[in-house]
Amino acid sequence: MVKFKLNGRDVSVDVPDDTPLLWALRDDLDLTGTKFGCGVGQCGACTVLVGGRATRSCITPLSSLEGADVTTIEGLDPNGKHAVQEAWKDIQVPQCGYCQSGQIMQAVSLLKDYPDPTDEEIDGVMGGSLCRCMTYVRIRKAIKKAAAALRKEEPSNG
Amino acid sequence: MIKRLLAGAAAIGAIGGLGFLYYAWYPPIEPVEAPDPGSFSAEQIERGRIVAAEGYCAECHTRTDGSGGPELAGDYKMETPFGAIYSSNITPDLETGIGNWSEEAFQRAMHLGVSRKGVHLIPAFPFDHFTKMTEQDVSDLYAYLMTRPAVHMTHRTNELPFPLSLRILQAGWKLLYFTPGVYKPDPRHDALWNRGAYLSEGNAHCGACHTPRDFMGAEKKSAPYDGAVVDNWIAPPLNEHNPTPTTWTEDELFQYLRFGVAPLHGPAGGPMSPVPHRFLSTVPEEDVHAIAHYFADVDHAAEREKHDKAALALAMEQSKTDLIGPSVDPDAKLYQGACAACHYNAAPSPVLGRPDLALNNALWLSEPTNLYQVILHGLTAEEGQTGVAMPSFYNALSDQDMARIAGYLRRTRTTLPPWTDLEKKAAAVRKTITTIPVNSSH
Amino acid sequence: MGKLERIAAQQDRAAGRGPSRRSFLLTAAGSAFLFGFARQGKAAQVYPQDAPAALQEASAFEPTIWCSIAPDGWVNVNIIRAEMGQHIGTALARIIADEMEADWNKVRITYVDTDPKWGLMITGGSWSVWMTWDQFRQAGAAARTVMVEQGAKLLGVAPSACIARNGQVIAGSRSIGYGDIVSRAHPTKTYTPEEMAKLPLKPASEHRLIGKDVKALDIPSKTNGTAIYGIDAKLDGMVYARPKLPPTRYGSKVVSVDDSEAKKVKGYIRYIVLEDPSDTVPGWVAVLASSYPAAIRATDALKVVWTPGKTANITEQDILDYGRKQIANKAGGSRVFNDPGVDETFAKAAKVVEQTYTCSSVLHYQLEPMNALARQHEGKWEVHCGNQWQTLFLPVIAKALQVPESEVVMRSYLLGGGFGRRLNGDYAVPAALISEAIGGKPVKLIFTRSDDVLFDSIRSPSVQTVRAALGQDGAITAWQHHASAGWPTRVMASAFMEKGEDGKPYDQFAIAGADHWYDVGPMLVRALDNDLASDTFRPGWLRSVSSGWTPWAHESFLDEIAYARKLDPVDYRLSLLDSKGRNAGSAPNSVGGASRQANVLRHLVEKCGYGKVSLPADTAIGIATTFGQERNMPTWTAGAVQVHVDRKTGVVTCQKIWLVLDAGTIIDPDGAAAQTEGGALWGLSMALFEGTEIVDGNVRDRNLNTYTPLRIADVPEMDVEFLPSTEKPMGLGEPGVTTIAPAVGNAIFNAVGVRLRHLPIRPADVLKGLKEKGNA
Ligand code: FES
Ligand code: FES
Repeated sequence: MVKFKLNGRDVSVDVPDDTPLLWALRDDLDLTGTKFGCGVGQCGACTVLVGGRATRSCITPLSSLEGADVTTIEGLDPNGKHAVQEAWKDIQVPQCGYCQSGQIMQAVSLLKDYPDPTDEEIDGVMGGSLCRCMTYVRIRKAIKKAAAALRKEEPSNG
Repeated sequence: MIKRLLAGAAAIGAIGGLGFLYYAWYPPIEPVEAPDPGSFSAEQIERGRIVAAEGYCAECHTRTDGSGGPELAGDYKMETPFGAIYSSNITPDLETGIGNWSEEAFQRAMHLGVSRKGVHLIPAFPFDHFTKMTEQDVSDLYAYLMTRPAVHMTHRTNELPFPLSLRILQAGWKLLYFTPGVYKPDPRHDALWNRGAYLSEGNAHCGACHTPRDFMGAEKKSAPYDGAVVDNWIAPPLNEHNPTPTTWTEDELFQYLRFGVAPLHGPAGGPMSPVPHRFLSTVPEEDVHAIAHYFADVDHAAEREKHDKAALALAMEQSKTDLIGPSVDPDAKLYQGACAACHYNAAPSPVLGRPDLALNNALWLSEPTNLYQVILHGLTAEEGQTGVAMPSFYNALSDQDMARIAGYLRRTRTTLPPWTDLEKKAAAVRKTITTIPVNSSH
Repeated sequence: MGKLERIAAQQDRAAGRGPSRRSFLLTAAGSAFLFGFARQGKAAQVYPQDAPAALQEASAFEPTIWCSIAPDGWVNVNIIRAEMGQHIGTALARIIADEMEADWNKVRITYVDTDPKWGLMITGGSWSVWMTWDQFRQAGAAARTVMVEQGAKLLGVAPSACIARNGQVIAGSRSIGYGDIVSRAHPTKTYTPEEMAKLPLKPASEHRLIGKDVKALDIPSKTNGTAIYGIDAKLDGMVYARPKLPPTRYGSKVVSVDDSEAKKVKGYIRYIVLEDPSDTVPGWVAVLASSYPAAIRATDALKVVWTPGKTANITEQDILDYGRKQIANKAGGSRVFNDPGVDETFAKAAKVVEQTYTCSSVLHYQLEPMNALARQHEGKWEVHCGNQWQTLFLPVIAKALQVPESEVVMRSYLLGGGFGRRLNGDYAVPAALISEAIGGKPVKLIFTRSDDVLFDSIRSPSVQTVRAALGQDGAITAWQHHASAGWPTRVMASAFMEKGEDGKPYDQFAIAGADHWYDVGPMLVRALDNDLASDTFRPGWLRSVSSGWTPWAHESFLDEIAYARKLDPVDYRLSLLDSKGRNAGSAPNSVGGASRQANVLRHLVEKCGYGKVSLPADTAIGIATTFGQERNMPTWTAGAVQVHVDRKTGVVTCQKIWLVLDAGTIIDPDGAAAQTEGGALWGLSMALFEGTEIVDGNVRDRNLNTYTPLRIADVPEMDVEFLPSTEKPMGLGEPGVTTIAPAVGNAIFNAVGVRLRHLPIRPADVLKGLKEKGNA
């Protein structure tokens, strides 16, 4: 049985080790915010953070998570008020919303790597996250807004 | 690797002859009572622990198939085309382990590749490297092993067919290829280099995987560290033939060996992964520095480094190919969907945790083997960069998809000629995976 | 009666409902709190999520079934439309709240489950706002009238001395809140529909919520993981299922099933060969397991032998060829327009020009794969899922289960994308049948993506031939438009097809758009049902339906004619949009007619500088204009696209999109913009990035490894503008799609002189065109 940290709590799930994290989250841990889109790692709907890095949970076996630190959309911020979420609400990004948990998790990870992302950097990193409602224009805007907010929150040390 | 070793051994069988038999004959060494663990000092045991870690003993002497086995109790399964062979129990169990081995017997095994009973050991046990270890190191290792819990466990029977099962044949192989003798420091180099060379050539037996072997299964003396295929992976060249566009500098090597991830070259995967994580992260840092220092010399880092700036800049440019702005190339789209979210990088250099494929060994080797292996397996949080996982694309990408990605990356992220037969090779690598890593949909 | 109302009436008749039941009849105060019973599966979603969990139903005043006012002042608005990204609940609630002068901060919306009292439940065709506009304003007016009457009484003044504002009835300096009115006066007033229709409505100048920016009530839940979609539904004791799809959509028969390998999968329960009286899922086998991963693996391991149906070898080319033959045959099809004099004018034309345009199959690829949770509960069959056309959904489920429709209820969840896919409830049939086979126990059926794609009701490939009779001066004197495609409405809801001039039924959703507003003399518009297509797959309604592909033909063709005549394509179109005859428009939907289309086009041209700006080599702007979705619900639309063509690779890059729309009154400007942006990018995606084809009776692409919808890096610069209007609001979910493909085609021609007549446009086609041109 694989043991890992989920949204800050120690968990272990009694399912086969080859179970994709996605289904363990959705069906065994009751966290349905993480979505199933393509099942082949190419839409980003199932994106969560593993060790702070965006990871496609649909093809990540539990067996590879021993000791890992997993964060889902539900655990991103205790009040759902992470700067990225706030920007998403402000800019009214979601349409059907189905891709948005994944988009947000991917954006959080993008902003860690590129705190002041250019359009190119946004394209490069977010290109794996499909939005079938095509909310892309707003995703870009919201990422920039969140980036600005985060930079204010955490003045750089250098 | 094993396949070639054994073929070599078989060929030697024809040599025969009395003189050979004389050379090949070693007397048994009397069994002893298991030494009292209290007879070893704590310092010696700790030194022995380090020696064991630097030689990765537990890696090959612990069963991993099925539900695994106790550490050092052997029964690790090595696949060969002739059948599997299984490693021996090196815990101090009297009956099934090495509990009744005297230190003398242990020294002889390490230095000459002969068991207590006088039987020649299969060179899968890299005594051709261990022979270079000092008596003191072997003695410390003995102390360490003899103070481990004894496990009563017999390994499964080797499946080698006759005549490969004749251990005497190993002697012929030794006659041709084995030069016993402890490492002699090279006075032209400083102590750090010599420490690195001693460890790398000896206990750490780097060449066992990274040096190609000839048709007799012996490491080619003419091509040290030229890279070789091991366990369906390619152990990349560690010398100047390493093809990555930026140099494996001492620092890259150190980070890689100590923490499992090199800032530019990316994480250690596959059979290499335990080397940093399980072993080299637990030994004195100076020893890892020494190894890194030694290989930075082996790969001529000092000369090659001057091209790194330009190579890095180029790689950062290539990293964006087809990801910036619209693209309708279906292969680029596949790469964008499946890989780029994690592997895209922007100047000036890759972000830690975002391995840049344009800099990675996998794209620059002569075959796509490692690329395919990583795609199919992914990396666990314990492998590569600790705490970070790469998914397994086993069910997500077909052989054709993998071939498209490999071909695409080779053509857009390297300056090398295209790989051939990509789809067939993808199928071949897939076949080597017996336990499907993830039960995902498609 | 508009098209929609007709459909509604037909459905009501079919379901044995009187029209009065369908419309906003009044219920007495306190009756029918909608979802008081305990339910495990979370449905009937309420937004904002932090609104009071339950209105004190017993004491709430419910002037109509559409809204209620609770003693605490909270207003609940019942939404019967599916929420699939349009934030429709917010838009509709704005209409009612504006008219009733409610306090927006105390408005909550409830996405309801199916119930006959709601009447027609459909979300499609960009109809929602348009078809709810009058109804909700009247409902709002009813509520406001009661509040003012009762409030006046409590304040001791005449109603005429009061005004309603922001949830208060105000008389001079005194005021009373709606909640207080409800708790103190216990109003029970009811109206007849006739009375309601007579209630005075606020003029546009008095709109206080409509047209103002608003934060959609459902959005917060879509940023924190709490929004619940069909796939998130959960019931105690449920098992999981995955379908094993037959080799052809129809006519496959199961010969044998071998589950010896499947049995080795831990968690595998059993397989079921489905018997489906509704013939929705013929030849299906379902696999049951205790977890979804087990169901995935067991389904892969299950071996089924089928005899395939007769379409096992059909290809896209076969279907297109068949369509061409249908068009070549003068007989057949339905004549949507068949103006007197068409044939004569063609016969004596100085010249006849004609072109044929084709479009490939397109997948919905809505991001949430098909799924449904079904069970029998308290004597009813319950299906938990998201769906766009509940009124069509229920009878199909009822037929599959062989029970009366009244025994089926659908619990409503959010839709992870609709785009027309979920107008068709076919995916819920197998869930219901599986549950039936296991004694009504709850089962959740989830399609993997490749299952979903194989079972998609795709946008049919299409062939269109447009013909113009030209006079001596080159002017168009008559027009023909022939279009062949699979007809979704014939397959799924044949009773609701329109009738042509010739009395023959036709699928309005497979020809709309061709019935354009240009004055081109007498017109023949002929719709042909490509039955080879509908034999092979189930044709679907896909975002903007035929208006997503008919303009590809006529808007390309008009540019071709203009070019041949050396006329400016914009001026040329303007000259044809003369607003005469049937193109003059009529109240309430198309006031102004073609003149409004001309107007958006003129605005667009000013904006994008078409024909004025000078652009780099191989770069050009193309334009196209449409009336959005339907003649009877026109959203006047003009689109321009700037492309660059790479002559070496044939790659077409879209650099910028401009859109100008006149959709009448805009309820929620930001939401309108979002819908239009999304639509335009769909249009671009279908023009340049996606598209599949039928190979061996099925679509070739199964997932994103080969199917490549537009992604973020492909997004061009965009400029979307709505012209101000106080006319009745039209739809906005789809019109954004309609102009893009022809504008791209026209832009490519303007850039490099290559005319393309097939969608999607692939680099190879451009290269071929360039080569031919070089050789010409
Ligand atoms: S569902 Fe995991 S990437 Fe699409
Ligand atoms: S908001 Fe619907 S898929 Fe992105």
